[in-house]
Order: sequence, then C-alpha cells, then structure tokens
Amino acid sequence: MSSLSASNTQHKTGDLAVSVQNLGLTYTTAIDRRPTLKARVKSLGRGTKQTRIVQALDDVNLDVTYGQVLGVIGTNGAGKSSLMRTIAGIIPPTQGRIEVFGKVSTLLALGVGFNPAMSGRANVQLGGLAAGMTRKEIEEHFDEIHEFSELGDAIDAPMRTYSSGMYARLAFSVAATVQPDILIVDEALSTGDAHFKEKSFNKIKELRSEDRALILVSHAMATLREICNDVAWLHKGKLVSRGNPDQVIDAYQDFLHLGKSSVIDEDL
Amino acid sequence: MSAPLQVYEPFRAGLPPLRKYWRSLWSRRTFIAEYSRSELREQHFDSIFGQLWLILNPLLLSGVYFLLIVIIGGSGGALRYGHLTASLFLFYLISNSLSGGVKSVTAGQRLILNTAFPRMMLPVSATVIAFFKFIPTLLVFMIMRTVLGLPFGWEMLWSIPIILIALIFALGVAILISTINVYFRDIASFLPYLIRTLLYLSPILYEASALKPELRILEHINPLFALLDSWSKAIVHAQTPELSSMLAASGWAVGVLLIGTYFFLSREREFAVRL
Repeated sequence: MSSLSASNTQHKTGDLAVSVQNLGLTYTTAIDRRPTLKARVKSLGRGTKQTRIVQALDDVNLDVTYGQVLGVIGTNGAGKSSLMRTIAGIIPPTQGRIEVFGKVSTLLALGVGFNPAMSGRANVQLGGLAAGMTRKEIEEHFDEIHEFSELGDAIDAPMRTYSSGMYARLAFSVAATVQPDILIVDEALSTGDAHFKEKSFNKIKELRSEDRALILVSHAMATLREICNDVAWLHKGKLVSRGNPDQVIDAYQDFLHLGKSSVIDEDL
Repeated sequence: MSAPLQVYEPFRAGLPPLRKYWRSLWSRRTFIAEYSRSELREQHFDSIFGQLWLILNPLLLSGVYFLLIVIIGGSGGALRYGHLTASLFLFYLISNSLSGGVKSVTAGQRLILNTAFPRMMLPVSATVIAFFKFIPTLLVFMIMRTVLGLPFGWEMLWSIPIILIALIFALGVAILISTINVYFRDIASFLPYLIRTLLYLSPILYEASALKPELRILEHINPLFALLDSWSKAIVHAQTPELSSMLAASGWAVGVLLIGTYFFLSREREFAVRL
C-alpha cells in the first residue's frame, strides 16, 4: 500500500524513482457492465462466457529517474492508464515487478472524489486520508488546494452539483499541491477552461524539479514537447520507443499518418 | 541506493502479506472515523431530529411488532415487550452493518480506481456506522427497562461481551457481503428479503424457550440464534447466559469474520478491474 507520508528522504537527480521490470498485465473483465446473479443464473448451461481476457501490458521495461519528466503517449487502448495504475499500486501486475522509490501522488482519469453526495471538502479529506496522509497534513494543504482550484464557496457544496470542469480543477489541485516525490498525471492537463489549463500547465512546469519525477499521460503533443525531457510510446501494451521527446513524438505522429496537423498539435 | 518504498509483484490466488496489510489498515483509522462521521452527517444524524429518528425508528418498529404479538399470540407483558425491543435493537446493529456494507466497495469505486489503500476500510466503516447508530438505542433500552420494571443484576454485564461478539459478526457479514456484491450487483436487492427472513428465524418476536421442538434445529442453523438468546437472557432477564450459547455465538462470529476476511483479502486486488 502506498503511503504519502512514508518518506522523508531527499532524492537526487539520476536516482531511480520507478523501476518497471518485464511488466505484464492481463485483465479478466466482466462483459456485463453490471454483473448480476440473475444474469449468471440465466446463462447457466448455455455456456456463454461472462468474462473477456484483455492483454493490457506486455513485457514493459521502464526506468524513471528523479529529475525526469516522462511523457507517455499512445493511441487509445495502448495501455497508458493501466501502466499508471500499476505504478500507483492500484492494480497488481500479472507478470514482472515494479519498484517505487518515493511517495506517489496520482491524478488519474477519474479525478478526485469518493462520494458525489458529499462536499468537495469532505471528498478531499477522505481521499487524502485514504491515500495515507494524516489529518494534519491535509489541513496544512487544504487552503492551498482550495485557492488553487478557484472553487470558492462551492467547496462546501456536494460534488454532484459540480460541473466537470470544477471536478477536474479540484482533482488537479489536490494532486499538484501535496508535493509528492513522484507525480502521475493521466490526461488531466486538457481539462478545464483556457484559463485553468494555462494555470495547471504552469503548475506542472513549476513542479519540475531535480528531486521529483513526473509522469504525464497526454494526447497533447505540443504540451509534451514543451514540458518533457523524455517520452515513452506505448502501442498495444508494448513499449515501442523511448527517448528524446521530439524524435519519439515525430515518429508517433508519422505512425498515425497525421503529420503535424494543427488539430492534434494545438491542444494547449 | 535506498531500498524501494513499494514493490508491486504479481500475486497468486491467496492472501497479501498480512502484517503489512494490518499495519496499513491501522494507520488509516482516521479515515474510518472520518468516513463514518461524514456518512452519518450525510444521513442527517448530526441534527437533533436525525438522532431522534435513530431512536424513534426502532421504537416504532418494536411497537408495531408488539402489536402483532399481542394480536396473534394473545399475550403481552413487560418482559415480552422488553425482550422484543432489546432483541430488535441488537438485530438492527447487524442488519445495518449488512445493508451499509453491501454497497461499501462498489460505492467506493472512484476512490478504488484512483488510490491505493487497504480496501477493507470500506466495509469496516460500514460496521462502525452501524455501531454508532446502535449506541443511542442501547441508552433508550436502559431507560425503558427501568420504566418497565425489569430485574437488574450484575449478570447484565454479560451484555458487554455479547455486544463484542455481535460486532465481530456484523463486521464479518459486512466484509463478506461487500465482496459478493462486487461480483453479483443484484445481491443488494435480495438483501431486504434475507434480513426479513433472518428476523423471523431469530428469537426476537418469540423467546428461544418458546420454540416448538420440531423447530429446534433453528438453534443450530441460524447464526444469530445463540447470540440473540444470550443477549436477551443477559440484558432483559438479568441472568447469566448459557456457556454453550456464548460459545456457539462466538464460533459463528469468528467463523464468519475469518471466512469473510479471507474471501475479501484474496479478491481485493482484483476489485479495481471489476468495478
């Protein structure tokens, strides 16, 4: 289990932050969105399969060191989110091994939140406590989170009343203000309005530092070219290439037969 | 190079490293407290009328059932009413834990998909909430039994270990049913029937001693039978419960908790992909 308050060690540039070794991940997912006993009983004897096997990641090797800002690119279903979840310890790997040297904060696709009926404030507190922070740590950061999110009084309103932009803003603020050693951001940079987009972009730039590792999953190629010093390209669960952002992104865009069209390059 | 803080490796069907798991669970006890509190606040139990409802609801229920007993069974009496109320209150501790626990994991979907934490916190919180709801009813019963003129005695202290056993049982069923609900989401719709059946099979509307000989088998197949019988003996009649009943109740409780925990822990790491 990851714990945000577990490490006090200083990390130096070049130290290993995350080591992914021969990672393989296979899911067995239910075909029904809502698996029920009724459906199971009805399909008895008919031999219909209730599950589907998905190979999400296949023999991925990836080291991330402190000081690195790694962009992860790939088409939909390439395994980007699965990789992020396994690094965060949310999904256990099927094969291989992952070593994490530091405290991880995640901002994954679904964003912060626990119970939409509860207020933003309660959700932030519960999410932080679940992640292993202490009440004091959360209180220390709360004003900062609140201010950065620009939610104002809405912080005490139930989260079901939030717009998706407000949701994303709060989620980003939580992940960015806890000062983690390793920050994983999954497709959250292109949410919110232009103003908040720029704000979060600047925040990410600010978070780049010698003693931190950032892993960003994004489809915004222009952003990645600007922020990252390393890019990994995943395709169908395999690591295709890794290295200089411009080279890898160029290769990826050639692969997509899209060239540097403005539609995919403009994103920020 | 320092040792890695976290290592994630494949698991075979089986349990995670237990000691590490408990430590991780224990370090998040503030989450459990905070979650229970906000959930109670959610259900308005922080307001005066909310708390009043907490007491009124079981009282009204016991009143309705008492009416039923008097009309069908033709007998009333203070002891009978005391037995009914006390038993119903303890039964509600378990049924609240069940109905709160059933959706605890599936409702925590967002959190589960975004954060790594010991998932068992969710059903544990459900039991804590049920216990918080139980406390005021216990106070109400203590007042009521004084008014009804039921006997007092040191034997009533047996109710303390009985509440503990009930809590263990409640936790066990919450953990078990929350796991089942991940795989069969419609369990939540069957639950009211299950609870209702358990209610009638348990010595609540009747006393354990009043059971017909041919129905004696219920004592052995209903996991709540021995527990509720001991509870009524201790807190209503102020008598020492039978050792065999206490042992049977403890056996059921620990058994359910062990099975539930094993089931939960061995499946827990799969929840993120099942939700």
